[in-house]
Amino acid sequence: MKAADIIRGGAITEIVGRLSSGRTSLLLAGLRETVARGGVAAVVDTDGAFDPESAHAAGVDLRRVLWVRCGGRRDVALRATDLLVRCPGFALVVLDVGESPPFVSLATAFRLRLAVRRTHTALVILASRHLVGASASLVVETVAQGAEWTGAGAMPRRLAGARSDVWLRRVQGAAPPSPPERWHWQAS
Amino acid sequence: MSFACVLVPWFAAAAEERCDPSLSEHPMVVVTARATPDPASPSRGRVKSERVKSPARPVVARVLEANAGAREAGVRPGMTETEARARCPALVARPWSDERVNAARLAMLDAALAVSPRVEDVAPGVVHVDVTGLGRLIGDDDAVARRLVRETHAVGLHPAVGVAATRTAAGVAARLGRRTVVIPPGGERAALATVTVVALELPARIADTLSRWGVRTLGDLARLPRDGVAARLGEAGLAAHDAAIGLDTAPFRPYLPPPFWEEAQSLDWEIDALDALLRIIEGVLARLTARLAAVHVLAGELELYLDLVSGGRHARMLTLAHPLGDVPPMLTLIRLDLERHPPSAAVTRVALSAHPVRPRVVQPRLGEPISPSVRDLAAVLTRLAAVAGPDAVGSPRSVDTHRPDAFTLVPFTPPNDVMDGAALPEMTALALRRLRPPRAADVEIETAGHERRPVRVRLHPDTRVERVVACAGPWRRSGTWWDQNGWARDEWDAVLGDGLLCRLVHDRVADRWYLDAVYD
Repeated sequence: MKAADIIRGGAITEIVGRLSSGRTSLLLAGLRETVARGGVAAVVDTDGAFDPESAHAAGVDLRRVLWVRCGGRRDVALRATDLLVRCPGFALVVLDVGESPPFVSLATAFRLRLAVRRTHTALVILASRHLVGASASLVVETVAQGAEWTGAGAMPRRLAGARSDVWLRRVQGAAPPSPPERWHWQAS
Repeated sequence: MSFACVLVPWFAAAAEERCDPSLSEHPMVVVTARATPDPASPSRGRVKSERVKSPARPVVARVLEANAGAREAGVRPGMTETEARARCPALVARPWSDERVNAARLAMLDAALAVSPRVEDVAPGVVHVDVTGLGRLIGDDDAVARRLVRETHAVGLHPAVGVAATRTAAGVAARLGRRTVVIPPGGERAALATVTVVALELPARIADTLSRWGVRTLGDLARLPRDGVAARLGEAGLAAHDAAIGLDTAPFRPYLPPPFWEEAQSLDWEIDALDALLRIIEGVLARLTARLAAVHVLAGELELYLDLVSGGRHARMLTLAHPLGDVPPMLTLIRLDLERHPPSAAVTRVALSAHPVRPRVVQPRLGEPISPSVRDLAAVLTRLAAVAGPDAVGSPRSVDTHRPDAFTLVPFTPPNDVMDGAALPEMTALALRRLRPPRAADVEIETAGHERRPVRVRLHPDTRVERVVACAGPWRRSGTWWDQNGWARDEWDAVLGDGLLCRLVHDRVADRWYLDAVYD
């Protein structure tokens, strides 16, 4: 599976996982692919966790990224996402809900699904748990598999990277593959 | 040569209806008030040295203009308002407003400019348009006349249009009472011959004289010897004779539009509630955008002026992320600005000024990425700014400093680079999630030889202590040491007992530990 495979135009993708499981790294890889193809992306950042330095190091062209900082306000994040998915022309809209995800009603989830279908925008929701239920056509779960260190001597000298297992938990219209994929993330 | 005359009769009344379209459903008059001196003044007979001010009669409002409904009821200019109300009890009276008449005048000129670049501002409600050469662009003279009517309707006015080879003949044609009148080239004299002299709206002295002479039509007037008319009726008579034969004597004076567009509205009573004020601003904005649309320009900047009941003025300059021509996003921007910077007193007058920008038409290229249209992007950015705050929306840019997490937000304008479609090299970078603000921590340090490393961490406000399973560092950073804002920090990459891969920071200036970011 490539990072671009999780970016599905006209559909909702959820990337779920605990902190340090690699979900943000997977998102940045997909974001990089989207903007590198000329698409315009928006990141709705509920808790202000988006790091432009990391994104730039990951190869993301920040000129094509609109960053909406919500200051911890969940309702603002949902409203901003609703506005963005209704605007034609955005290839990708990311909703990063942080570690305290808001409650997303069935009606809201359905409305978002209809909106992305109409504008053919890819909506990716980054969360620690499932939010939109059956409205997500693809659910990806990341599970941390440890950090990788480097350096001579008994004690590690530098963080080399991290490993994650990426599971496809739900694929609309198909049975999800059972074994996960192992991803290696390299620290800069 | 071919000219059109765009005529809006009863212009002051039309200007009122333009600002408040509901007035057209009621009989309405525009009145003015003038004080009349009392002839039976008690000052008469007094000694000169006793200067007593003559008490004036109460102000008498007189009808200046009337709309169609009022005229049907028998209301005529010159009547007092009382007399007019006696004839038409349902009458609505509006005081004369210079700014509404001027705004309507400018709107009419903007509408004419949408058809031809050569426009002459003759008088309020009268515009001459040089329509020579518009045949290929718009069509024959009938089509041009209909286009002028349509453009003038779009700015809220209802004109009559005459087209002829001369401006004078076009002006007479416009006064014939039909929506469009086209006089074929060379047929001015014949077409005007049967028009009554009343259509010229001559001064009463001239009209009476012509009536005594038995001159009823423009044809009769045209047959009079010109020298005789000049000798007996003077300059006014010569002007009437020129009109009868459709002769232009004055040169065409092209109108130059001002560098900005402005609409204003005085309020009948002061307003201090934002919602009510925004309804007024919406109406003013709608008229302004209609005028901008007529000349195919957009607003690049908006200036809002609110006259206050205290005598002051509340002025705001609003810079638009993208040139706009639609009312809703501009109204949202104004509302947001007024919520943040409300006027200090109730408002008595609203004025909006737009700096025009001509939209740049760019043909899409093959391979160009799909991005939101300028209009859609401007609208969504305005709404996002209203929801999240204007400082919370933008494109991130690095700042030239070694300080970590240094960035700025710039207005979002996606580039138009054409993608070459080349395959991307694989890149799987480990991402950071920042904690803003960083989370305070208590860190226990263990010293082994020359090395010091964290071994236990308690993150505020938790009471749980996590063991540091592995860590690397410190990475020492510092900057602006020559300044009061100097900073110095040691960074550790660490894995905690609960699996969290994070960055711990020791602020050496404040001697405090923080959880600065999490690798994810």
